[in-house]
This record gives sequence, C-alpha cells and structure tokens, in this order.
Amino acid sequence: MVKQILPKNLSEVLELISKEKYRFCAGGTDMLIQNHNLKTLPIDFKDNIIYTFNLEELKGITEDEDFITIGASESLESILENKITPQILKDTILQMASPAIRHSGTIGGNIGNASPAGDLLVPLYLLNAIVQLQSLKGIRSVLLSDFITHVRRIDLRDDEIITKIIISKINFDKHQFVKVGPRLSDAISKLSFLGAVSFHEDKVIDLRFSFGAVNITVVRRPEIEAQYIYKTKEELKNSVDELLEKYSEYIRPIDDQRSNKEYRKTVALNLLRNFIEEL
Amino acid sequence: MKDIRESILKTDGDEKISGQAKYVADIRMANMQHAITKRSTIACGEIKNISYPELPEGYFIVDHRDVPGLNVVKIIFDDMPVFTEKAITYLHEPILLVVGPNKEKVKEIVNNIQIEYIEKEATFEWKNSAVQYHFDKGLGKSIFENADKIIEYDYETGYQEQAYIEPQGFIGYLEGKDKVTLIGSIQCPYYVKNAVIQVLNATEENVRVIQPSVGGAFGGKEEFPSLMACQLACAVKKVKKPIQLIYEREEDMLVTTKRHPARIRFSAALNKEREILGFKIYCAIDAGANIGLSGVVLSRALIAGTGAYTIDNLDCSGDVFITNTVPNGAFRGFGAPQMYFAVEMFMEHIALDLGIDSLAFRRKYLAKQNDLTSTSGTFRDPIIMNEMIEKGMEISDYKKKRIEYSKEKSTKGIGMSFFFHGCGFTGSGEATHIKAKVRLKKDKDNTVYILVAAVDMGQGIRTTLRKVVAQILEIPIDNVIFDFPDTDKVPDSGPTVASRTMMIVGGLIGRAAKEMKKRWTETEFIVEKIYEQPEYIKYNDETFRGDAYPAYSWGVNIVEVDVNPVTYQPKILNTWSVYDIGKSIDDRIVLGQADGGLTQGIAYGYLEVMNHVKGVIKQKNMTDYIIPTAMDTGNMETVIYENPYAFGPYGAKGVGELTLVGGAPAVVYAIEQAINKRIHKIPATPEYILEMMNDGKNRL
Ligand SMILES: Cc1cc2nc3c(=O)[nH]c(=O)nc-3n(C[C@H](O)[C@H](O)[C@H](O)COP(=O)(O)OP(=O)(O)OC[C@H]3O[C@@H](n4cnc5c(N)ncnc54)[C@H](O)[C@@H]3O)c2cc1C
Repeated sequence: MVKQILPKNLSEVLELISKEKYRFCAGGTDMLIQNHNLKTLPIDFKDNIIYTFNLEELKGITEDEDFITIGASESLESILENKITPQILKDTILQMASPAIRHSGTIGGNIGNASPAGDLLVPLYLLNAIVQLQSLKGIRSVLLSDFITHVRRIDLRDDEIITKIIISKINFDKHQFVKVGPRLSDAISKLSFLGAVSFHEDKVIDLRFSFGAVNITVVRRPEIEAQYIYKTKEELKNSVDELLEKYSEYIRPIDDQRSNKEYRKTVALNLLRNFIEEL
Repeated sequence: MKDIRESILKTDGDEKISGQAKYVADIRMANMQHAITKRSTIACGEIKNISYPELPEGYFIVDHRDVPGLNVVKIIFDDMPVFTEKAITYLHEPILLVVGPNKEKVKEIVNNIQIEYIEKEATFEWKNSAVQYHFDKGLGKSIFENADKIIEYDYETGYQEQAYIEPQGFIGYLEGKDKVTLIGSIQCPYYVKNAVIQVLNATEENVRVIQPSVGGAFGGKEEFPSLMACQLACAVKKVKKPIQLIYEREEDMLVTTKRHPARIRFSAALNKEREILGFKIYCAIDAGANIGLSGVVLSRALIAGTGAYTIDNLDCSGDVFITNTVPNGAFRGFGAPQMYFAVEMFMEHIALDLGIDSLAFRRKYLAKQNDLTSTSGTFRDPIIMNEMIEKGMEISDYKKKRIEYSKEKSTKGIGMSFFFHGCGFTGSGEATHIKAKVRLKKDKDNTVYILVAAVDMGQGIRTTLRKVVAQILEIPIDNVIFDFPDTDKVPDSGPTVASRTMMIVGGLIGRAAKEMKKRWTETEFIVEKIYEQPEYIKYNDETFRGDAYPAYSWGVNIVEVDVNPVTYQPKILNTWSVYDIGKSIDDRIVLGQADGGLTQGIAYGYLEVMNHVKGVIKQKNMTDYIIPTAMDTGNMETVIYENPYAFGPYGAKGVGELTLVGGAPAVVYAIEQAINKRIHKIPATPEYILEMMNDGKNRL
C-alpha cells in the first residue's frame, strides 16, 4: 500500500520529500484519471502521495511592479476570477475543461502534468513564465520552457515541489488565443495557437507566438520572433509566407485518436496566417 | 378535459435529480461477489492453453464448461457463444469470468491468468458475406435499360457509440435452490429471460429478470445485455451467491455493440426529361464478429432506401459482412440513419449533376398518401409533408438563407432533410414474433396497475403510459402505478425498441383502459390485451413485399451551420424540426426526444468519430469519443404536427428514432453548402473537410 499524506504545511512536505519519494496530487483532475481503478475500488496510486490542494504556501495571486506571482495550487477557477490575472491567461482558462474541472484543477497541476495538449502552458510559454521550486536545500527558479523537458517529463528533483509560477507583466496591443478542440466545451485540444503583438509608431516592438499540441511541448521560437522586430505592420503582413515557412519546421504534430498530422499542421499555420492578416 | 399533450412533471424526475433512484451498480446485497471478465488479447485465432494462478478459497472461474444448456446467446441469429470454447473471433472476446468476494483480488487473478493462443490472420476487409438480401419494386433493374442517363455515387458511414450515461451491468442471485434472478440495465426484460432460459436449460419459473432505473440505452441495451446475463446466470448457478458484473466505461466502449458502419452505392436511371425512372441500391454493413441482429439492421436500411420519396422501380440488395471486430448491434434508428444519409445526399447530388433546383426536385418525388412504399406496400394514412416543409421553411427563413449562403464568400450553410420512420417491428414481426401482451389491474381501493415489460431508460414511458391510463379512466395519475418491470409480475409486452412502446404497447394499454372504464364498478379485476395486426397489414419477410410497417412517423430537419474557414470546424447555429408523430402524449417528453435525438443524429453526421485499426477501437473513453455538449447544439426549435394513427393511443405513433434519423443529412447538406464541396462520407469532421478543401469535388 502506498502512503497518502495530507500535510499541514509546506515544511512538512519538504521534510517528507527530502527522505522518500512522493508524488503530488493537487486538484487530482489528471492524477485520479491516470490512476483510476475499477469502480468501487480505491484509486490505484502507484507512488506515495502528498495532497497539496490546501497548502496555504502554495496559494495566492499577487503582483508587484513587474511580475505576477501565482501559487501552484491556485485553481483554474480562482485564477480566472482574479482581477490581477492577465487577460491572456483568462482567455485560455475559459476554454479549458468544464466549470467543475476548473474548480479543482490547478496551474501547478497543468505544468506538472506536462502534456503536449496542456492549454495553460501555451500562454505561460508566451509570457516567459518562471517556475519556482522549493526543497530543504532552498529555492530554484527555472524558465518553464526549460522545466518541461519532454512529453510528460519535467525537471523536478525528488526533493522538490513547485511552489509558484511567476510571469512578467506585459500588455500587448493585440493577442488571440484559439483552442481547436473537437467540440466547443470540455475537450482536449487537437491544437492551439496564441499570437501576441505590440506596435510603436507602426513598428513591431514585441511579437510572440506559441503553439500547443503540435510537438512534444509548446512551440515557441523567440529567435524567429526577433527577426520581425522593428518591421512595419505592412512589412510584417508581407512576410507572412516566409514566417509560415519558418514555423513549419517546428510544427511536427502526430496522428492519434483525436486528429491527424495534416490537419493539425495546416490549421496551426492557418491560424498564424490569419492572425497576421487580420492585424 | 385537458389535451393529453399538455406536459406534466416527469414522474421519475425527483428521484433521479435527488440521487435516490437506484441503478444496478447502487444495489448492495449481503455476501455479494464480484465478477470480472477475462478477455482475448488477439482478434482471430484459437486458445491453445490457459494457465490459472492458484485460486484462494471462495474464488471461482466460470467458463464454457459451466454452461448447463446451449452455449449460445439467443438474439435473432444465434451465433454468439456465451463463453468461447476455443475460437477467438474478435479482440476482447469474453473467455471466462473470475468471481470472488474481494474485487481487488478478483482483478489480480484475472491479470494472472495466462492464455496462449494460436493466432490466425484476422479479416478486416468486407469480404465474408453472411447474409444477402435482394428485392425489387416495379420493373427492378431492367428499367436501367431504358435510361437516358445513369448517375451513380458511393456513400460511407462510420461507427456510432450509444454513449449511455450508465455502463452495462447486472447483479444476479439465487432465489431458493434453482431460481436465478437478474437485475440489470436493460431495454428488454424478456429477451434476457428467454436467453437465460436457453443457456441454463431452465424452466420459465426458474428465471426472473427485473429492471432497476436505467441510465440511457439507445439500443445498446437491446441485445447485448443478454450476453452478460447468460454469463452471470451460469456464474450464479455455480457460485450460489449474489454476484455483481458491472462494466467499466472503457470495457463497455471496447466490447459492446455499436452502430454498423455502412457502404452504400446508389445508381439512378433517368429519362430524357431528367426524371428518375428507378434506383439500384446496394448496402453493405459490417456486423463485426457475429451476425446477431445485423440482418434486421440491413433489412431496415434497405426498406428506408428511397427515403421519404416514391421511386417506382427499385433493385435493392445488400450484404452483412463478418469481420474480426467487435460485434455491432442495435442503435436508435436501426439501419435508417446510414440509409437516410446516403439517399438524401444522392438526391441532392443528382440535382446538382443535372443542374436543377434540388429542393423542387426532391419535393417532386415526396411520397404521397396511397403511393407504394419501397416494398410495394401502401402509405395508407395521410402524409402531410408538404405542409410540414412549408412550416419548416417559414420558421427558419430557409429560402432567403439558402440563396444568401450560396454566395461565394459565405461560410454558412443551411440544409433540410426529409424522412420517415416505420413504427414498430418490421413486417409481421409484431404479430408473429413479438405478440405483445399487456395487463391492466384494478385493485379494491381503485388503484390501477400497468403491467407491461416496457422499460423507462430515461425516455419517459413511466410518465406517459400512466398519463394515458389516468386520462382514459379519468382518475388522478397518482392512482395509476407503473412499477419497474419484473418478469414474475408482468406479461411479455415485447422489447422496448423500434419506436413501438407508445404506439403498440400504449395502444394496447389504451384499449385495456377503455374496457376497464366500462367495467369500473367491478371491484377487483384484470384486463388483458394481446396485439392483433390490423387486417390490412400484410408482409412477406422473404420477398420483402407488402406493408413493412403499420404506421409511419414523418419529419423535416433544418440545420444551419457556419464552417470556420481557418479551422474547418462546423459550428451548429440553429436547428428547426417539424414532426408528424400522430399525437403528442406529453409535449415536454416529446421535446426531450426531439432535442436529444436530433443532437445525436447531427453528431453522427459531423462530430462523433469512432474507428478501429486492425480491430482495436481507437476511441475507447469519453475523452476521446466526442459527443456534443449543450454548447455544440445551437438553438433548437421543434414544431409537432398531429396526424392521428387509428391504433395508437390518442393517435400516437413512434417518436424515439424518428428524431435521430434526419440529423446527419441535414447537417451535411448545410456543410456542403458552406464549403461548396460534395460530401460522401460521415462523420464530416474538420479533418475530412480539410481533405475535401484540398482535393474534393466542388459542389457547384
Ligand atoms: C474532464 C477533463 C477535462 C480537461 N480539460 C482540459 C483542458 O481543456 N485543457 C487542459 O490543459 N487540461 C485539461 N484537463 C486536465 C487537467 O484538468 C489539467 O491539466 C489541470 O490543470 C491539472 O491540475 P490538477 O491540480 O488537477 O493536477 P493533478 O492531477 O493534481 O496533478 C497533475 C500532475 O502535476 C503534478 N503536480 C501537481 N501539483 C504539483 C506541485 N505543486 N509540484 C509538483 N508537481 C505537481 C502531479 O504530481 C501530477 O503529475 C482536463 C481534465 C479533465 C478530467
């Protein structure tokens, strides 16, 4: 039998994980499904479990001049309802799961699960989110794009827990999140797209794109984005074909029970084109 | 007196909303054991050897050696074994049950049973035909010799999963020494009872079947539950304790019956005036590993071959193919949804090829009263489709939208389907095969009991049958009791299928109530009624000739969509439906059928994807098998027309299946217009639409 622990505070958690291997269960909306058992039998956890949904230290949404900090156990619902939350995150959360799942599911869980189709990862990559990890040894901050190393693999040591997600405060002139799911609510993305841009005197000063579910993790290419800084809107629009070609190489979706490669790739690039053309 | 169509609260609403309703998985019995099925891991071959782990005290293996009677499930064509002896014909075929007190332990034993197979090459192509049908109307195919022009197209439809909320399940126990009682999530108590009698080699008295609350069925609980019940009955006989056999969602989706995929070829012979002389229709369906009731599905499909139209000369044929895939079975619509998609698209495609207005073209061939049906029977009752179509076009602003959406830039489309559904069993089935019997019992205290085997699976029959009786007897509905069917207490009024319950069973109950009313002063008595076919209904099952159904319900569905040009996703904006169902017994309950049926029918056309790769079903849970949510359905408006059928209660005809069968063609018409491409295959998913945009044939 695995151990299941409902800790009182973060230091208890840090003690426990410094000695023995545990996995965390926050909202459980991924964990319970991945470890589901036959009806009426208890959840089939394969590892020791620490429940983290009510740890005060993992809660809270705060801001200072430059950053917004979100506790790892904040639910999607409370992030959606918080005034501080940037619109770009709200737009994404509104299209995730269902109200019931949003009530339980957390931001830390979406990151911890590291699914290629994790929707919240798409704006978090775009906002250069930093993941804060804590252990008895101290605090470690990692860029989300470095933290997620592969499909469902994260750079988390056994003695660490995700405590906070930090994003910089940026306002874009225009952003657009499109989730392409098989139906309009409560469905896993076939793919998703987020574009964001800001201009100063008709010149591009910030341009970012991220794509979900078209590669092992979110596709974000700052080096491509950088090539279009200081272009005029017109120049940007005129280079849309070239831009698509550059991204094409990184959009490498798979065939699965939900969709196919051709569709995912074509639509991802269509969405990019559409975003630029509608500027 | 109030018009019976005025809605009342559903009589089981409170118990369901409050959570008090008991479904089979809620039932706990003293000493209850758990059963889990061990299944094959190959699609085709033979069992070479089975090695079992040591069984602790109180744990049992139940397999083909424990079947006292015939090792075959009584369906329509009896070719499904209760437990396979050796041969494996599809992936996840049931081999044995493990039964014991601790479910965790049972699971462990199942996982530790090692089976060696001799694997054979599985057949997934449609080449082994097990049933062939052919019938003609008029001059049959010889009319093609006179044709000035022949148009021919192929159409294809996929699986559909019933996706009932409650997975399949049973609990079984012994009453006394010999009697096996089964409580299960079922549509047809007597199908289960008769199947179990044959398997146990038991007497009538020694098998009892009881229905608890049922959480949806859609045909999926017509014949499949008989398999589980037979297995469980053998286990109960052996173990002699109460046993629960409840499927997990994934297990249910992998192993239970689905809608038959179909491939349909239509050819039309046309004369110089561009009129249809006749059709050749060929329909192939994939039965999976067993025939079961696939023959009936094929026949219902072929009978629906001309859709809502009258075509004078027909050559209709079809095959049921056996493949090494999960057996397919009953599903709301029963062959008609496949065929309506094909025939409606074909009519449209002919009109497009001829360059003529498709609506006028289709309306010209609409069936009229006294026309001959596809099986050369007669549409005896009035057909009011023209009025219904006008109504549908008016409330949807159809004409204007149709023109507007044909502009090149438009991403919207609107489509309209015409259809009917034959009510009750095909041909003489009701009279010769089912022979429905109902009873109405009056008690000393003037309480009236409805004694029928009809199952409420959510569709509302527990409300509407009581309404019929209360209204005829002019007594409060609370004085009319309709308990869950129990084969020890109710006669065999037939299965709860084929849109027959209100029209046939309700018709009999209505007649029983009328008789009861005449004898009301008697203190305690029972009225029994047995189905008699109206004299004029004659049908030959072999030749497919005559009146295939005693009555027909009719419908018009209109669907308006917007197809996103960037993502190719169709969005349903609005739907309008007009139905002739004879008489509504309760408007809200009819609307429940209308909204649910159309949603399921439209989703069949564009949303619900299920396929197999070498016999492995790819969408095996509700995450991957996508059914629509309320956000996907758009606004729905339904108009109900009354056009009473003489033998239905208050004139009622069938509703349940009618509301599904026209959804797919209506939505695909709309999508075709929106994308200006021809569609020959459903579901018309965004992936398929993209394919069409790249190399499909233009609509215009
Ligand atoms: C019906 C349904 C619909 C869904 N729809 C969507 C959708 O539209 N989009 C989408 O992206 N997802 C969706 N999901 C998935 C899921 O809801 C989200 O990924 C959610 O954010 C997970 O959060 P959680 O708190 O429930 O995670 P949990 O299940 O508790 O945990 C998920 C993973 O994160 C790890 N973890 C959790 N907290 C921490 C921590 N503090 N430190 C380290 N590791 C941690 C866990 O160990 C586990 O590996 C859906 C799920 C369901 C059941």
